[in-house]
Amino acid sequence: MEDELYLENIDEFVTDQNRIVTYKWLSYTLGVHVNQAKQMLYDYVERKRKENSGAQLHVTYLVAGSLVQNGHTCHKVAVVREDKLEAMKSKLATIASVHVYSVQKALLKDSAPLYNTDYDIVKTNLHNCSKFSAIQCAAAVPRTPAEAPQAQTTSARAGSQPPSDADAVSAPVVNGHAPSAAKQTSQQPKGIMEMFAAKAASKAHDANKETKPESKEAPGVSAASSKPPAKSSIMNNFFGKAAMNKLKVNSVPEQPKEEKEAVKPSVSVAEPESSLNVVVEKPGKKTESVKSQQKDKKSKMKRVDKSDNEEEREPENLKKKRKRIKQLQSDSSDEEDVPPSPAPEEEKAPSPPPVPALKAELEPVPTEVSAGGRKRKRKRVLKSKMFIDEEEGCMVTEKVYESESCTDSEDDFTKSKPPPPQKQPALPAKKELKEEKKNLKKGPAAANRANKQVSIMGFFQKK
Amino acid sequence: GQDVPVRKLCELQAGERCCVVGTLFKAMQLQPSILQEISEEHNLEPQPPLSKYIHPSDELILEDELQRIKLEGAIEVQRLVTGTIFAVYGCEQDDGKFLVEDHCFANLPPPLPWNGPSADRFVLLVSGLGLGSGSGESLLGTQLLVDVVTGQLGAEGGQSCAANISRVVLAGNLLSQNTQSRDTINKAKYLTKKTQAASVEAVKMLDEILLQLCTSVPVDVMPGEFDPTNYTLPQQPLHRCMLPLASAYATLHLVTNPYQADIDGVRFLGTSGQNISDIFKYSSMDDYLEILEWTLRAGHISPTAPDTLGCYPFYKSDPFILTACPHVYFCGNAPRFQSKLLQGDEGQRVLLVTVPAFSATQTACLVNLRNLSCQPISFSGFGAEDDD
Repeated sequence: MEDELYLENIDEFVTDQNRIVTYKWLSYTLGVHVNQAKQMLYDYVERKRKENSGAQLHVTYLVAGSLVQNGHTCHKVAVVREDKLEAMKSKLATIASVHVYSVQKALLKDSAPLYNTDYDIVKTNLHNCSKFSAIQCAAAVPRTPAEAPQAQTTSARAGSQPPSDADAVSAPVVNGHAPSAAKQTSQQPKGIMEMFAAKAASKAHDANKETKPESKEAPGVSAASSKPPAKSSIMNNFFGKAAMNKLKVNSVPEQPKEEKEAVKPSVSVAEPESSLNVVVEKPGKKTESVKSQQKDKKSKMKRVDKSDNEEEREPENLKKKRKRIKQLQSDSSDEEDVPPSPAPEEEKAPSPPPVPALKAELEPVPTEVSAGGRKRKRKRVLKSKMFIDEEEGCMVTEKVYESESCTDSEDDFTKSKPPPPQKQPALPAKKELKEEKKNLKKGPAAANRANKQVSIMGFFQKK
Repeated sequence: GQDVPVRKLCELQAGERCCVVGTLFKAMQLQPSILQEISEEHNLEPQPPLSKYIHPSDELILEDELQRIKLEGAIEVQRLVTGTIFAVYGCEQDDGKFLVEDHCFANLPPPLPWNGPSADRFVLLVSGLGLGSGSGESLLGTQLLVDVVTGQLGAEGGQSCAANISRVVLAGNLLSQNTQSRDTINKAKYLTKKTQAASVEAVKMLDEILLQLCTSVPVDVMPGEFDPTNYTLPQQPLHRCMLPLASAYATLHLVTNPYQADIDGVRFLGTSGQNISDIFKYSSMDDYLEILEWTLRAGHISPTAPDTLGCYPFYKSDPFILTACPHVYFCGNAPRFQSKLLQGDEGQRVLLVTVPAFSATQTACLVNLRNLSCQPISFSGFGAEDDD
């Protein structure tokens, strides 16, 4: 029975892991409605007490009621320990509700740990904090990026922040193309998905930033980006990103502008903890590089860097590699817009760039991807420009850049095989997940390898 | 009566009983004056902030468009503050002072039509969340508040009651006074290079709390004395880029202080409390509810602005004059919760509410829009020393 399973889970949490299990924590962890969580806790306590196996269980209750004080009726809502429960109940004239608040092994001296538990779990679930609550508000729909820019008066970076934030918050609901479905599906695999969404959001924002009718593009981009993550698994997310990056390469140069915009607008208050923060950080990083932005490609590079940076899994090594690569790139090809500008920009990027970032660098030209999956890929591409063609990636750094600039070749490559790029990025994505620091992947892997080689083996390769 | 002439000050004749209407000015000895502070001849230290600046030697002066005249007589000097418009009835004496026999205020403004809801709908008034204060005592209370409003706490009955909350109004002082310290100005640059203003963390916390609230209920956020917005009244709304998570939701409304709104057909008007506390400092009135009622009767939200309270220099029209009587009139950051239903002569019904500071009292106010009643709702956790 499901209930038995839950009871066992609770038992494990309380006794084995020695946690403080509050109803809210349980609700988020098991994915159940808060009322059900409370009921489960109550059942658990009852059973345990009956068994009385000697395990000490301490329970705190929430008591809500009203009492008459100073002539008017006051409502009181209080969390009380079990021993004080009766006293509190007797103080209240009418009792509105009593239910279990938390169950834990140790006796709590004060309610601070309860608060900490709830705070942590809410922090990690900020965007769907009302999912399991008893009250649903129909009006509480996150603004889509298309609307958010309209609220802005100028297309300044500051203005783009709200939309980007909106995007960040409503990552799955970007542009309403894939609203609730995307939201829910994308919320499941949190970290990566959210980064995804963030990137998509930033992209959308970027689009909005420019005074062109980017809003169309942005929704398209975001929708595209939101869809792939919604559908694919965590592994596929990277995959999708890579694929999107490739697609981006294929797209018209307009997209670079979009991405550029995405980079710029993504400036927002950096929030440290949630994945949303990741999105936010991305914008912040982008702003850093924005200064040096001169061309679309450059911006893309930056964006990639930033987005990459946000993926905090990436170790420092990649970052360093990136920097080196960038330096080489900048040295090697002055003709290329991308190499010189992105290189310094990437160097500026503070956080370690993930592999996708490298991939994005390889693909300077954003591609107008119509399909949702494409957009995702495009995003990816933009991020890690490094990841272009395997062949060229294997070659000298300069060539890498060259290949980047040759959109045709890249487009052909990517357009002709949209599935393959997806697969390729998927593989790299997986590897990225597993070996964050290693660029041992096929498509992106090659690129990464190329980058690596650029840094170390490039000299040998030339000869 | 009709037979009493209304005179301007320049038309006054000694010994004639008449009415004069004008603005009040209270000359206070203890009133902090920047000129005195920077004056070198006095060699004075800046005056430390007092809780009350009244002094027995304060005098009232009535000003109209052209002249001013000292008032004495049957008026309570201590209770009145600068900036009040009122009318006095009396006569001018030989020494040039006006002997007051009676006085009156503008009284309650004309009433507004009542369009309130027929079913129970609530508005939750909270003020003084005081985030970033460094002490976590009120955090659990804040979390409990959010949980009740979002429907996570409580049994089914409590949750369905909470579902009737149609709006939450945060009336100022979302950040605590502790975030106001500006040590970075005094310290050397190398010491403060990597430090962040305390308000940054507090605003992040605020953003998270607002996000949780916004997903279930429309929220109006008013800035207060310690919030990152301009100092002078009217305070502009907090900028939405400070609240990236929550501002994505259309249910978040960042509003000004003072704030007037029609919620479910009921007219709300309120401030974050700076006006009331300023009057508190410059008059002998101690009760926030009393001061609140007094401002309503005087027809002006904040008579002491811009004299002692920072205010934008409006010169064409004064937006703080009460032109219509609100249904709910509140002020935030009061020392304790108080409420009163006031009935006016012309049929006005006003609910006066002083919203206590949540960080100190863990109490919020629930206003029932159907019958204009108000109830405090308080939250508590338990501590080591709690007995009950």
